[in-house]
Amino acid sequence: MKDVITLEGISKHLGQREVLRGVSFATQQGDIFGFLGPNGAGKTTTIRVLLGLLRPDSGKATIMGEHVDRDEARRKVGFLLESDGLYDNKTAEENLWYYARIYGMTDPAQRVDRVLNLVELQDRATDKVGTYSRGMRQRLALARAMTHNPELLVLDEPTAGVDPSGQIDLRDIILNMAHKERKTIFLSSHNLDEVQRICNRIAIIDRGEIKLYGELEQLRREMSRNAVEIETTEAISPPLADELKSLSHLGFQDGEGGHLSFLPRKGTRVPDIVRLLVDRGAEIEGVYAKQTSLEKIYSAIVKETEPS
Amino acid sequence: MKGTLVVFRSDLSDIVHSRGFILICAITGAVSIAAVVVAPMALRDWLATGVPWEEARPMIENFVGLAASYVPLLIIFVFTATWATDPLAKEKARGTLESLLATPLTAKSVWMGKTLSIFLPAYIIGAVVTLAVILSMNLGAITPATGQFVFLPPQGFTSFVFLPLFLFALVSLGVMLSLITNPVIGQTVVILVGVILLQVIGQVSARVLWLLASWDYALYALAGAALLGAIVFYLSRSLNKEKIVLSSKGKWA
Repeated sequence: MKDVITLEGISKHLGQREVLRGVSFATQQGDIFGFLGPNGAGKTTTIRVLLGLLRPDSGKATIMGEHVDRDEARRKVGFLLESDGLYDNKTAEENLWYYARIYGMTDPAQRVDRVLNLVELQDRATDKVGTYSRGMRQRLALARAMTHNPELLVLDEPTAGVDPSGQIDLRDIILNMAHKERKTIFLSSHNLDEVQRICNRIAIIDRGEIKLYGELEQLRREMSRNAVEIETTEAISPPLADELKSLSHLGFQDGEGGHLSFLPRKGTRVPDIVRLLVDRGAEIEGVYAKQTSLEKIYSAIVKETEPS
Repeated sequence: MKGTLVVFRSDLSDIVHSRGFILICAITGAVSIAAVVVAPMALRDWLATGVPWEEARPMIENFVGLAASYVPLLIIFVFTATWATDPLAKEKARGTLESLLATPLTAKSVWMGKTLSIFLPAYIIGAVVTLAVILSMNLGAITPATGQFVFLPPQGFTSFVFLPLFLFALVSLGVMLSLITNPVIGQTVVILVGVILLQVIGQVSARVLWLLASWDYALYALAGAALLGAIVFYLSRSLNKEKIVLSSKGKWA
């Protein structure tokens, strides 16, 4: 598989603040790559570096082997940034034609029709974008990203602020783009459920550093290898819950009722956890291996790096 | 160059179809009609007093030169103040500018496209109004009274070439500053330079009657354009996408 995006050791200061610290990852052709992280983690800055909007202090960023500053690289990318970047006073068609011309398309009529069809906005093609709902705007911005038929789509929070049915529509469109149009997709999102549903590879960034990176299924398998659920006859006492939380190596997740979830760190053995519970007077009913959700992986990674 | 043209065409269409443009055209039209009517009347009354041509000539040439300098200056300032600030601030806030920069367009082609879209309509309107005022002064008063047509070659070069070159450099400086800093700074610089320029031209024309009709004045305008152009060229070397993006809303996200 060919690498589409390659970031190697990207660091970036904005003012005095180090926003990216040696960020490295790669996406391969056909990936739907989920890029996760809390607010201020460096997601948008990474995207700006990727699109050649910010120059890294050090490191190298390429798209299909071309440096991101080069025209050739930018022609291979379609994007939807935090703001949709659409002109309210222009119609949907005019917005798409404008971008088609920027990309040097001489006769974009057919392509504009095709992408408007893809996002199901052909009936509103001649309406001013200022009259569109948030969901329609995001769909149009996706169409704009596709107008010049790029190989890579960089999408920054495409479903943010969109109602649930609009989110489903957008998700379907993104999947269509990936599968039918065979695009590689880089999806920055806060929506873990969305990422879990559609992405095959992820990276989690926090405080400017990549904390976790790899194939989602493999990461889940690896993280689940240790994940364990312990059932007790009665709910544990609040002081015991507090004690479990304070012992971070146990990776205590939650303990509603008699169901205690743990994602122990490497080196922590499940029998040690069971012994601790028994020592504190808990009666164990069962110990089960558990499949870890992306949400659990995310909170484990992000909590781990929170300042104490 | 292609990128500049694409941005220019789109922005020009936005400007021409905006309410602000219609308003400015209406105000400019009204003021021009007033000037076209009032200026010949004032000249006619003055020439009717029987002032000898040799005495009247430098005054009239100065008056024509003043009109040929002030009209394009004022129109370009109005255009720059209207379109080089607020719309650019909105473009930054709404993210349309950042989206443009994420395409293969260079920062310089965006800058030039926007500058041209503000400057060219202002130049055309300024030239038409200047021509109308000069023709009306001549055909409505000067020629019937004296048999002369007053609009000397240096005045033509100054009004239609050298001064617009200076103003083009000034608009491009204003747009550049609006792109890389707060748009209010761009507007302030243009207006400040404009006010100083209007003052200087007014003061000089009152003291040195022959100057505005001379090649000296034309060369001052050309030298000013060259100097400002050199400054803008020098500053433009540091114009890049990062500066524009970081001066926009949400730069620390």
